[in-house]
Amino acid sequence: MKERTPLITNTKCECGHQNPVGTVLCEACGKPLDREEQLSSGNLEMRYDGVARRSQRVNPGVIDLVWNFFSSVKIAIYLIVLTLLGSMLGTIFPQESTFLNIDASTYYPEKYGTAGEIYYKLGLSHTYESWWFVLLLVLIGASLVICSLDRVLPLYKALTRQKIRKHRQFLTRQKVALVTELKEEPEAWVARMVELLQKKGYRVRTDGAALLAEKHRFSRWGPYVIHIGLIIFLLAVLARGLPGLNMDQHLAFPQGDTVRIPDTTYYLKNEKFTVEFYTEEEMPKEFRGKKILPKLYETRAVLYECTANCTDPSKEPQLAEVARHNIQVNSPLSYNGLKAYQFDYDLTPVLRSVQPELINAKSGEVYGKFKLDMNNPQRSFQAGLYTLSLKEKYMDFGLNEEGQPVSKSPYPNAPAFLFLITGPDLPAGGQQYFYFPKQVDKEKFQMTAINDKLGGSGRFLELEVGGMSDVDFSESTTYLNIRVDRAMPFVWIGAGIVMLGLVLGFYWQHRRIWLAANHGELVLGGHTNKNWFGFRREIVSILAKTDLTVDEKSLDNGGGLA
Amino acid sequence: MSLLDFSSDVFIAAFFLYSGSFMLFTIAIMGRKWSGRKPEEHTARWGRIAFIGSSLGLICHLAYFFTRWAGSGHIPVSNMYEFMTFLSMMIMVAFTVIFSIYRKIILGVFAVPVSIIVMAYAAVFPQEVQPLIPSLKSIYLNIHVTLAALGESFFAVGFAAGLMYLLRTVDFASKEKNDRKQQRLVEFTLFSIIVIIGFLGSVFAFRGAGYETVFVRSNVTIDSPGQGDSTIEKVSYKMPPIVAPYHSEIESFQSFLGMNKPLFEAPSWMNGVNAGRKFNTVLWSLISGLLLYGILRLAVRKPLGRAIHPVLDGIDENDLDEITYRAIAIGFPIFTLGALIFAMIWAQVAWGRFWGWDPKEVWALVTWLFYSAYLHLRLARGWQGRKSAWLAVLGFLVVMFTLVGVNLVIAGLHSYAGTD
Repeated sequence: MKERTPLITNTKCECGHQNPVGTVLCEACGKPLDREEQLSSGNLEMRYDGVARRSQRVNPGVIDLVWNFFSSVKIAIYLIVLTLLGSMLGTIFPQESTFLNIDASTYYPEKYGTAGEIYYKLGLSHTYESWWFVLLLVLIGASLVICSLDRVLPLYKALTRQKIRKHRQFLTRQKVALVTELKEEPEAWVARMVELLQKKGYRVRTDGAALLAEKHRFSRWGPYVIHIGLIIFLLAVLARGLPGLNMDQHLAFPQGDTVRIPDTTYYLKNEKFTVEFYTEEEMPKEFRGKKILPKLYETRAVLYECTANCTDPSKEPQLAEVARHNIQVNSPLSYNGLKAYQFDYDLTPVLRSVQPELINAKSGEVYGKFKLDMNNPQRSFQAGLYTLSLKEKYMDFGLNEEGQPVSKSPYPNAPAFLFLITGPDLPAGGQQYFYFPKQVDKEKFQMTAINDKLGGSGRFLELEVGGMSDVDFSESTTYLNIRVDRAMPFVWIGAGIVMLGLVLGFYWQHRRIWLAANHGELVLGGHTNKNWFGFRREIVSILAKTDLTVDEKSLDNGGGLA
Repeated sequence: MSLLDFSSDVFIAAFFLYSGSFMLFTIAIMGRKWSGRKPEEHTARWGRIAFIGSSLGLICHLAYFFTRWAGSGHIPVSNMYEFMTFLSMMIMVAFTVIFSIYRKIILGVFAVPVSIIVMAYAAVFPQEVQPLIPSLKSIYLNIHVTLAALGESFFAVGFAAGLMYLLRTVDFASKEKNDRKQQRLVEFTLFSIIVIIGFLGSVFAFRGAGYETVFVRSNVTIDSPGQGDSTIEKVSYKMPPIVAPYHSEIESFQSFLGMNKPLFEAPSWMNGVNAGRKFNTVLWSLISGLLLYGILRLAVRKPLGRAIHPVLDGIDENDLDEITYRAIAIGFPIFTLGALIFAMIWAQVAWGRFWGWDPKEVWALVTWLFYSAYLHLRLARGWQGRKSAWLAVLGFLVVMFTLVGVNLVIAGLHSYAGTD
């Protein structure tokens, strides 16, 4: 705390006004209260017009101490600087959140050596989620609230209860001050000044030959408006962490497919995905043949809302179209708070369905044909006299560490199906059969060998696809980022208020001029919160119109005029 | 003549007009003491001519900007070359605004060269018009980049005025410990600026001479057992290699002053072939910077700070303090709007999140926090004069790191700004 708060102070001014403890300048006449300060001739400390703040109590309790801590600008600056340094640390190496799938404990040492290991161990690989960083932001929030409250109320009081007549010292010890000879009759001169000041946009009040002119007082609230905006912004950011307000998922949408968006009643269909590249003619000469530049990524998307049978997996859900949009990188689909962003794409064809035939491998006889859908296969199929019931489905077939078959991902990269076939010439319990629709997988995973093992020597059934017409591919897949962020409006409101405060506080200045004319002497004091240069220039130009020629520099009251 | 050709012609005209007006500003100040003239009259007359020159330069610069916009079909702020040319233009706009308020001729001597240096730096990057990739096709490219650059330009003028304040007020004759420290810090600041000029000098000198040496490096990466992948990386040096990339071989070597192999190899932690090339550039910048600094020292026979100090004689230091602060106070809201708020709006539209702690975003925040601290220190803690001037100088360093350093050293999502 820089402000001194002596234990015993006479806070009653000679003008008769009783001031609260901690007051620097008398609330009424503006005379310094401190004896030492009265004898000095330096500029007056005009912060909050010298009014006492809540944080300047004589016997602080625990709450007062906490209040005092957060109300200190010094602490606020420390918090700003610590946040600044913390943020910088987080950019030394990429953050964990940059990567979709990494094991951070091994990634950092491998990629960046010892420095990477230390970085990871210190938790800097997730700086912005770490407890100390979040704590810093919360402390800044607390500081914003308390600093503002501590100052805005006293300042409001001081500015609304301003007296016109001030102590002579209050005027002469302003940073802009002038004591000069006045030849004219004081009251008449002041009356002339009123008019001139009003022309310059000042609101003027007079008390005999004393005058107080003031303009753009609202500018003083700028900093507090900024702080209110920042508080709203920070609260909105914190609220994003609450459940239900925020959703963020990356989903794959093969062309032509309608995919349910988990945790919602929405379905989204990718009607067509387009990727375009710039042609050679559109590129500068230097790039031709060297670079490929993308021109457009677009997903023709239709959003449906489920109206019936939404939770019953045995029934086909009823969908109603609610929105339609061509999603591009800077143009997401937006419906009722749900947004779909173009995130990525994959031009590898994805198998949608096949129509295999069940045949007798020995005789070549075809028993029957059925349609096997990769994403939503039926539970059982009929092929001639044989019944195939689906036991297991693997979208992305692979073996785990124990050698058990597993699905490595939910995407149909290597689909595999395990059937139990029952029918003529088969064992009573049926025969197991593994089916890989893709030719590459058949070879890679040795489908024949697996089935020989499962079916024994008498095995004669095979599933085969007759021709390309029996295979259905989707040409490409688009990856969309599906988001819901209910706190966003508050983020923007906060940011907007910050901006408003910045404009108020920085592009206008609160200017005040006190004048006291008597006994052939004119005393002028001026105060502004910013832009002293422009203020002095304005005063000089106004005085010049009353035939008082004053040099701009002579108004600059560095040391003070006694 | 096509629009784009015209555009690059007026750009060069702007460059020479700025350089000329810088010299005229210098004459306006230095010539005060020439015999046979009244100092105020001399400064006023030559200052007016200089300001007309810089304004003509700005008009040419604006002509460059709009004809390139018309010729390419999109606002020319989409890569490093275009951004830097735009930034230098905005610095001139900020200078013109501040100059119109304060009418201090001396400001031209310090602010105009900042713009010239940024302009020259732009020319380091490839200049051809590139079509926009999908993520840049947005109205927010126009708003975000331009406002951010304008805000930063006022910080640049604040930097120039802050440096002027230091050169004006530091006691260069004193032998006292604290004054010596200030002298050294000012000297170091000036030296850093000369290193940047050294960097520009070496880039253009070797480019003019058509220098090139190529290194290759083969990398073997093992993704999974039994599946090795071998890639060959090539890197072309445009300056004679003092340092070669780590574990690389020479493909072709153009000898320079009898040097026909690199003097040493980059240490292993500088992985990536480009790290070696960047390190080499840093070494050349330091060498040519030192050389230039040495020549200047020989010419003036005293520390540069002390040599410049008399130029600022008679300038009111409080005015300089005020200009520094005012420039930053004007720039701060613009910077907030452009570099943070519109950045967030665009990020929300393009990437689905308004904030993602991407290095560029973090550094924009760091810049903002820095100037917030500056404003709080000044307004509430009474940091004026010396301390405030140092912060203004340091702040611009943070700005330049955000704009350039992040792309060179850290990259991240803004890497399309093309710094290779």
